[in-house]
Amino acid sequence: MPIETTINEGLLEECGSLISGMFARCSENAPNFGVREHCFAASLQKTINKYLFAASSDPVNLEDAAEFLEQIQADDLFMALACASGNERAWWEFDQQHRSYLERVARHLAKTEVDAQEVIDTVYVELYGTRVVDGERVSKFSTYSGRGSLRGWLRTVIWHSLVDLHRASHDEVSLDEMTENVGEGSVHASFAEAAPGGEDEMMDHLARERYRKATLASIETAFSSLEDHEKLLLLYYHVENLKLREIARMVENTASPLRGWFQRKSSTRDKDPSSRIHESTIMRWLEKSYARVLQIFREELQSKHGLKNEEIEICVELATQDLADSGFNRNLTVT
Amino acid sequence: MKNITPQENKIQGLLDRYLRQQFAGSGFALASENHLDDDSLTAFVEGNLSSREARPIVAHLVDCSFCRHVTTELVRLDLAFAETDAVEGRAEISEPSRVSEVLSGILSRIFGTNDGAVFAHQENDSEEDQEKEKPEEDESEK
Repeated sequence: MPIETTINEGLLEECGSLISGMFARCSENAPNFGVREHCFAASLQKTINKYLFAASSDPVNLEDAAEFLEQIQADDLFMALACASGNERAWWEFDQQHRSYLERVARHLAKTEVDAQEVIDTVYVELYGTRVVDGERVSKFSTYSGRGSLRGWLRTVIWHSLVDLHRASHDEVSLDEMTENVGEGSVHASFAEAAPGGEDEMMDHLARERYRKATLASIETAFSSLEDHEKLLLLYYHVENLKLREIARMVENTASPLRGWFQRKSSTRDKDPSSRIHESTIMRWLEKSYARVLQIFREELQSKHGLKNEEIEICVELATQDLADSGFNRNLTVT
Repeated sequence: MKNITPQENKIQGLLDRYLRQQFAGSGFALASENHLDDDSLTAFVEGNLSSREARPIVAHLVDCSFCRHVTTELVRLDLAFAETDAVEGRAEISEPSRVSEVLSGILSRIFGTNDGAVFAHQENDSEEDQEKEKPEEDESEK
């Protein structure tokens, strides 16, 4: 048996009393759900393995595991486990608490009432489970871990269900095309094929191409040099067209790791972990990323491509001219 | 707001073009089993993951435009409902039908059969439960 597995199991055993405490609280809140403690514990252990152990090879201590368990939406998980096992009382509660919400989400996303109703029906059937594996019915609820809220998970399930519905009714549309249509569209302008228009006549074609290649290679290196959370922020803003307030929503949770990573390097005013994240804060994070890209971009052009300051200006000018006709250069303003 | 230098403005435009060209649509070719599951997507969008848990997910989202796009849509959906939840609140609370009836109806519409036995194994217990206690108020609408 691998050493890591042995360590994990030892740690899980140490978490036993914590899990028992969680189970007792949930049972008290919902005494008729019929969830057994070993099922509850098994689900949590699966979640710990999935999120905590699989995420990194760094060792996990009891404190990490305890903090992790505290963050589990235990009552939501308890209800999901009860529904997965077909407990009528749990289904009743689920229907009472969430059906109207499910309907609102489906109607918000679907184009027609018929589609919305179809999605709700499909989701209910998936949640109950019609597939039988090894003699046991497989409920979609069994994939809910309690790491996020049950309502958030239900939103995700409905979104995917609508995507599937759309695919089923548009056989000719590939998943790629469909998902791109779902978004706000993407621009596939070719960097290399941009119209040169208006460049200095003294510059011959070969020189321009050399500058263009150097520019592209340097911007590529500059972006690659960023940390993943900085890359993701830029991608959300530039490629996915998330607005600043939408990004702010994403990091609203004070425990959000994205927020933590950016605040680690931020000025004092951004560091208060309890403060609300405003659009201006996201803008500052973006500005820092632009500044880093610009710095690495210039260094690359100087050191790797041997360009002088004047030539770097030409590179930026050329690239800017290429951009002139594209019309998708968003100004950095609060939206 | 800090003033953006002309060069920073240009690099922003350059980066915008580069990112759209390089990253829009990338990662669609990944096999579906390599995409993030509903549970991970939800936990990430809600900001519930620790740094340790989020690191591999963020790395995946940088490379996989499909999952990135899903998270984008989920953030928008989350925001849309955060704004309407407070208003609509408890307005729509209604007495639900028996779930076995609801599900049986759905199943019969979908499969053309009346699978009324889906909850048969718990019918007795649940009837007793319902008589014993009335459901509590909707806590999830807090």
